Amino acid sequence: MEKQRLAIIGTGEVPTGTYPDRSQWDIIYETCISAVRDAGIDKNDVEAVITVAPQAQPQLTAEISFGKIPEELGLKGCKDSCICNAGGASTSNCLRLAEQLIESGQAKFVLIPHVTVHSTIPLPDLINFFAKAGIDLQWEYPYGTTYNGVIAMMTRRYMHESGTTEEEMASVVVSLRKWATLDPNSIFYGKEVPTIEKVLSSGMVSSPLHKRECNVLADGGAAMVVTSAEIAKQMGCPAAVKLGESTRYFSAFTTTRSTEDVKNGFLQGTNDALNAAGLTKEDIDIWNMYLAYPVGHPMFMETIGLCEPGQAGKMFMEGHTWPGGKLPWATIGDAIGRGHTGSGVSMATYVETARQLMGKADAKQVADVNYIFQNTSGGSGMNFIATVWGRNI
Amino acid sequence: MEMQKPIPVIQPWTKEFWKATKQGKLLVQHCKDCNANIFFPKKVCPKCWSENLTWIESSGKAVVYTYTAMLDMVEPKFMGDLPYVIAMVDLEEGIRMTTRIVNCNQDDIKIGMNVEVVFEEVSPECSLPVFQPADESLRLASPDQGDDTAVAAEPEKGMSPENYQTILYEIGGICGGECTITLNRPDKYNAINRQMAAELIDAFRRVRNEPSIGVVVLAGAGGKAFCTGGDLEIFPSLAEHQNSLNWLSHEGLDVQRAITSCEKVVICKINGHCLAGGLEIALACDLIYARESAKMGTTEINMGILPGWGGTARLPRSMPIFRAREIIFSGRKDYTAKEMYDMGLLTRVFKDEDFESEFEKVVKNIAAKKPIALRMGKEVMARSADGCDMETALAVERNGIQWLTYSPDIQAVMDQFRASPDKLTQQQKQQNIRSDVKK
Ligand SMILES: [Zn+2]
Repeated sequence: MEKQRLAIIGTGEVPTGTYPDRSQWDIIYETCISAVRDAGIDKNDVEAVITVAPQAQPQLTAEISFGKIPEELGLKGCKDSCICNAGGASTSNCLRLAEQLIESGQAKFVLIPHVTVHSTIPLPDLINFFAKAGIDLQWEYPYGTTYNGVIAMMTRRYMHESGTTEEEMASVVVSLRKWATLDPNSIFYGKEVPTIEKVLSSGMVSSPLHKRECNVLADGGAAMVVTSAEIAKQMGCPAAVKLGESTRYFSAFTTTRSTEDVKNGFLQGTNDALNAAGLTKEDIDIWNMYLAYPVGHPMFMETIGLCEPGQAGKMFMEGHTWPGGKLPWATIGDAIGRGHTGSGVSMATYVETARQLMGKADAKQVADVNYIFQNTSGGSGMNFIATVWGRNI
Repeated sequence: MEMQKPIPVIQPWTKEFWKATKQGKLLVQHCKDCNANIFFPKKVCPKCWSENLTWIESSGKAVVYTYTAMLDMVEPKFMGDLPYVIAMVDLEEGIRMTTRIVNCNQDDIKIGMNVEVVFEEVSPECSLPVFQPADESLRLASPDQGDDTAVAAEPEKGMSPENYQTILYEIGGICGGECTITLNRPDKYNAINRQMAAELIDAFRRVRNEPSIGVVVLAGAGGKAFCTGGDLEIFPSLAEHQNSLNWLSHEGLDVQRAITSCEKVVICKINGHCLAGGLEIALACDLIYARESAKMGTTEINMGILPGWGGTARLPRSMPIFRAREIIFSGRKDYTAKEMYDMGLLTRVFKDEDFESEFEKVVKNIAAKKPIALRMGKEVMARSADGCDMETALAVERNGIQWLTYSPDIQAVMDQFRASPDKLTQQQKQQNIRSDVKK
């Protein structure tokens, strides 16, 4: 018998942003109920809840870890509940855990929620969390390193090696924001897309990173219902099916990470995932990349050979990655365009992948989508999880 | 140490490394079985799992792999360090460290630059290895020569009017005899951040070395505000006691002192809002002219605190005390310039439409006086106003004027007078007339 393939059949999402009256549990209710309804199943059909670990919210993490979601939502058929944490890559691991439960016949339908509310965390605590996440307390932190700082160093090195200009780096932000403005769940929905000049005129945070090249922290959440491709087919509902996957682990910290390892991992991981799907990179209709800051985008694009070395910046600048371009790229605009919701951007990226394949992406919808490549990554870039998705044909 | 910085979280097998930093040695962990050099140091060799590990002393020589100038959005405990440079450097021993680059102008740092280790103490147990340029000509100063008190009296090293980010510094302009310092963050109502405080201190120290300048105009760019006080971006950092104290006693006091101890007559030009720390900076000036529509006040009490850049000291000394108290206790930010003037504050208020031209006349007139006399006048009046007894005040005045009279500037005039008394009397008359408002 052929291996069961995982299918996303329902999604629910709330707008990203700061809404003081919206609590963490408001978001959980809203996203889970709409995902279950979108899937067209009964709430009691959900047999497991595997939640994406919220970052920097210990109380909420404890509540969810100890099983509050199935009780709160009255999921009478639920047999299993847990939380899964791999930083920004958590959603990928939730999906793989769900895949196992489905594959082994322990669950037919699994609910995967995520919520992050940054706005109620005191600012010093937030800065402190992001100063220490993926940063070594002995060898990096005492120097005053921050997340923006380590990415700034990677960016400078990348620009130095590839010859990418400041304007080209800024054009990555422009491209991401072009998608974000079309996305009702983005913090920048309907907002004017900044020009390259405007990106570069925003204050320097950690050279060469400008404010608009860094992420805006925000509240948000989403949920997915997954099942097997076979069941989805029987149900006759639109679905996104995982066709291939491959992962690489690099290192916990940027100091100890070699750029060569990362590039090899990008290339081999991507090829492995494409091979598993029986596809080549030319078959991919959308590159739905989650890399958190601008620098990863051109680096990935040229590493896997979607352009000549050193030419990736131009691809963004010339608009090939924009809505309507020949290489639709990060169609929620990554964390830069969506607003940074902790571990939630990976969830939002999967939701987007599913919606594009289901034909539910509205203004962002790319025409004739058959195959999507999507990645996630955790910590300060500790790993690379490559997946390839298709429609349920 | 000015505040508690995070100290490295030491593991049992890294004690040796940190102990060596106290002796100025940089150690590299080394596996005797597979010869690997290891960083970060581990309990067992990450290559071969051997426990047969030792330390070798590094040459301390390295090359910059990449770097970043940290300018914003850092934890409160590091805000006092801003701006600072974080880098990754490749040691000769084949390992890569995250560190700071010190003793170097940011603009001189390049990928590939040769650097060498120096140590900065962070606790009695350990010092942080940081790196300075190997090329001595690129160093600002060697760390053991660092004499903070001597440096403090001079303009900040590496800072100059060409690279000010938050203020403008212009010699001449209205009449050539003055220097204009403009708070230049118009989109932020010219609010004061750490950079601006440092640049103001630098600018007011710098202008002291301009002998031909007698007057400094302090203004705000953009027309919406002179200055609305401390920038909100500062506030998260004030959550820490030391940081807050330093903002008051380092930046705050130093800015006030830079203005009051600048021997030039500092004329404050208030256009738009002048609130909280902005008003306190104005109070440190020698003369304050305001546009009629300007709005003023001290809002600190609305946050449960009080003006901390000299407001409680200077307002009661600048106007009748019962009125000063109302300004501080009410927290009102809508006192009009006219109201303030009627209450006894401010030098003068001009109608909006006449403000620029009237202000220019004032500056032109005062800037035409001899800098040496303005300087002496500022000092004599400051000592007198500080509240010494009458006899002391008169003595300071008498001796000051005697000194002026015998200064080379005035003696040159006296020579003329001796040669042709009539001619000089005529000249003096002309100058007296020029100084009057109605001509
Ligand atoms: Zn070994």
